[in-house]
Amino acid sequence: MSRMGELWRKTVFLVRRRQMERELAEEMRDHLERKAAKNSMAGMSDVEAGYAARRQLGNLALQQERSRANWGFTALESLAQDVRYGLRGLRKSPGFTGVAILTLTLGIGASTAIFGIVNAVVLRPLPYKDANRLMYVWTISPYFPQYHMGQSKPNIDDIQKQNRSFKTLAIYQSVKLTLTGSDEPVPVSAAAVSADFLNVFAIQPEVGRGFVPGDDEGKNHNVVLLSHRLWQSRFGGNPHIVGQTLILNDKPYSVAGVLPATFSFPDKTEAWVPLIISENDRLHRRNWKFYAIGRLADGAAVRTAQAEMDKIAGQLSREFPQENDNIQLLVMPVRDGLVNQAAKSQLWILVGAVSFLLLIGCANVSNLILSRGVQRRREIALRAALGASGGRILRQLLVESLLLALLGGLGGLLLAGAGIMAFRSLAPGNFARLDEVHLEPAVAFMALLVSTLAGLLSGLAPALHTAHSDVNMALKDHAASFTPRRLWLRTFLVSSEVALALVLLTGSALMVQSFSRLMKVDTGFRTDHLLTARVAPLASRYPSSGARHLFVAHLLEALRGEPQFHGAAISEYPLLNGDPSLIGLEPGYLGANVKGITLEAQMVSPGFFETLGIPVLSGRSFNDRDTEGSPPVIMINNAMARRFFPGQDPVGKVVKLMTPKDHYLIVGVAGDVRDVHLREAAWLEVYFPLLQVPYSSLRVMVRSAAEPLALSKLLQQCVWSIDKGQPLTDLSSMDASIAELVAEPRFRTWLLSAFAVAGLALTLIGIYGVISYSVNQRTHEMGIRIALGAQHADVLRLVLQQGIRLALLGAAIGVAGSLGLMRLLTSQLYEIKPGDPLTLTGAALLMLVVALSASYIPARRATRVDPIEALRHE
Amino acid sequence: MVRSASKSELLPGTLEMLILQTLTRGAMHGYGIAQHIQEISDDVLQVEEGSLYPALQRLLVKGWVKSEWGTSANNRRARYYTLTSAGKKQLDVEAGNFERMVHAIARVMQTT
Repeated sequence: MSRMGELWRKTVFLVRRRQMERELAEEMRDHLERKAAKNSMAGMSDVEAGYAARRQLGNLALQQERSRANWGFTALESLAQDVRYGLRGLRKSPGFTGVAILTLTLGIGASTAIFGIVNAVVLRPLPYKDANRLMYVWTISPYFPQYHMGQSKPNIDDIQKQNRSFKTLAIYQSVKLTLTGSDEPVPVSAAAVSADFLNVFAIQPEVGRGFVPGDDEGKNHNVVLLSHRLWQSRFGGNPHIVGQTLILNDKPYSVAGVLPATFSFPDKTEAWVPLIISENDRLHRRNWKFYAIGRLADGAAVRTAQAEMDKIAGQLSREFPQENDNIQLLVMPVRDGLVNQAAKSQLWILVGAVSFLLLIGCANVSNLILSRGVQRRREIALRAALGASGGRILRQLLVESLLLALLGGLGGLLLAGAGIMAFRSLAPGNFARLDEVHLEPAVAFMALLVSTLAGLLSGLAPALHTAHSDVNMALKDHAASFTPRRLWLRTFLVSSEVALALVLLTGSALMVQSFSRLMKVDTGFRTDHLLTARVAPLASRYPSSGARHLFVAHLLEALRGEPQFHGAAISEYPLLNGDPSLIGLEPGYLGANVKGITLEAQMVSPGFFETLGIPVLSGRSFNDRDTEGSPPVIMINNAMARRFFPGQDPVGKVVKLMTPKDHYLIVGVAGDVRDVHLREAAWLEVYFPLLQVPYSSLRVMVRSAAEPLALSKLLQQCVWSIDKGQPLTDLSSMDASIAELVAEPRFRTWLLSAFAVAGLALTLIGIYGVISYSVNQRTHEMGIRIALGAQHADVLRLVLQQGIRLALLGAAIGVAGSLGLMRLLTSQLYEIKPGDPLTLTGAALLMLVVALSASYIPARRATRVDPIEALRHE
Repeated sequence: MVRSASKSELLPGTLEMLILQTLTRGAMHGYGIAQHIQEISDDVLQVEEGSLYPALQRLLVKGWVKSEWGTSANNRRARYYTLTSAGKKQLDVEAGNFERMVHAIARVMQTT
């Protein structure tokens, strides 16, 4: 209750402030007079009495202020006062304010943008219910341990029967469907999913129904679920969409429902159909083609699920040693699967780099504030003499720094917004969770946080330094009171800048070199002037294998007949897709100690090797006579030849593979091709003639003389000449596809280099600032030196040496830091070591050059000091 | 840097207690309070008289005294402070604490 009364009184006094001040002044004056009167009566002269009275009353101004402190809410008021005062001060020095705010905008903007991206991609949970309980279940083969493979139908059935850790398990496959019916056939990214798929995600459709048991057995009534986006874009959000029939891949599908806008799993899927499993897939335990995903049972943890899967894996391996030889089952949270470890470490590297940039910016601003503090030392000393406590002055200085930082933060927020938008358009399309990155309140909050931190960081040291300067010396305005000894703080700041900038520089130099080496990699085939496209003859139109092979033969003929195509080839799988197709090698056939090995398989038409420029090292390549009726033949690549037939010629040997036909004759050996990842050496690969084996879709590749995409229409016409209803999708040039592959590392390298350049520029400014300041302070000293006979060269050397010394100290720390930190980059670097001495030396040398150039102008200024002027101004 | 130590030898916080005690004798203005403390304590307690005023303002805000403008003996306008009932209670509390503290110090000093 008394608190209420107190608050009330405080408010009243605040409102009646002027009156209260008047009354208090009157009171104190009255007291003074009485005291003086008393002193006079005690025998002092009037003048003395007055002085004595003043002394006895003490510091009236201070007491008045203390009294005033009881009216109103002091803390807030004095804070408001600090803010007003600070803003006024900033307005009065536009140069300082401008540079400081710009530097802070750059640092805060870049940091906030990156933090925003990291938050959306790495930290935020997926938009599904209890998303952290969604798990992938991968198969890992001991022969390709770095690849996560899916499940085969027999395996997943057993897993489902034997496990207790998962509440629901489902499998799915990505499929590409063609929607026909309107003017042009439209490609649709779709997923074929098992019945429980939607239950795994606990998703309810927003229109219609989901999948029900029996949907995956429907032979006549196929159903499809549409994505919200497809429903809006293609069907105008038609509320009566349920029940409508669509023609997908020449088959009728009835729309059963529409899924909500937030759901799009797997990435970018527009439609979901029931997964119908072929006989082949039902039988073969080694066809690990279906991705498995599940929701953990209530109370089960990842660890227990993994332990259970390990047990099941062991069992499967023992029961089916041929197909499941030593497999492992890996339980992986879906979040980690979408944003894999590599992507995460790349983002954290960017976070580290941008933090360095922010720190460099703060160091520069810190130095600026220090300089300004020196200019204001008289003002601050005056305030101290008038009775301000050290804490009060410190607080005011900190408030000013925070003001600067918040203003910089405003600019930074705008910059971050622009940065995030730029990121969305420039980042490669396959960047994980790209859609979820946008400007949002969390970003603004982050900007605020970063600004506050930056402000405190920049302002604290200078504030402490300035607030404790010697009052007497300051009031006397003695230039020599700031001896070089006082430079330690600035030296520390600038040296740290140099160190940080050097680390950034080294990192970006390593990345740039790594990237350029990656680009120069020899893929083993000619990638230039190659037009590629995908053609998927539908099973409904070409039901028999004979018909399908006829299609290929006719297409090849049409392509060869076109004079503008200098070579034509067809294969089943695209090159450099990152997604190898694998088959198994019968264990024991090629030697006693050869266990079951998984090979990469590719199906190619005649002309493949010639068109792509892949050398045939021995034997022959496929020709038109390798068809269904003739003996099964294969070609192997050089890696396989070296591995299984060292020192011999494999041509003529017979190999047994785990496919329907047992034995294959090797007719030729082809040169190695890097066709999975640019970074990886060629896999063990075997080629089948396209005309001898079944296929599901085709990649057409033609070589052109000029720009490949110019011939797209021509290619389309060739295909239409065989079949008018056959759409061509994924038209691209090979070079463009490769560029897309490397778009992500290229983007990151560019970003890192931008940070390094910005850091270097800021450091240059920082060094210039400190040397310039030092030269100003040493004007007196320079004057003496010149008067005593120092030449221009001597003075120049003196100043430049100071600059170099600064840089050397920072560079030494920077090099040490680089050696330590660059190890973190190892996974990102291609064919260059993190401790590469050439790069480190180059970066350090560059830093010294920067220091020299930054010191040059102040050095010139020092040589032009007029000794007489300098000596005159004490 | 100017140190903010007041000149009086008072233990911190006792100034307000002394003011409250002084006002039990009746309404008084600031000068009068200062005089009284000095006289009664035989000049031992030298209060920096200016520091009286912030203390009085604080007591006002806390509601332990109230003030009124009136005329003094020699026809001058002066501000008179009186103790409130809440102030009386506060005085009892503070006096009690002070006594306890003094006794504790005395006990420690007695052990030789």
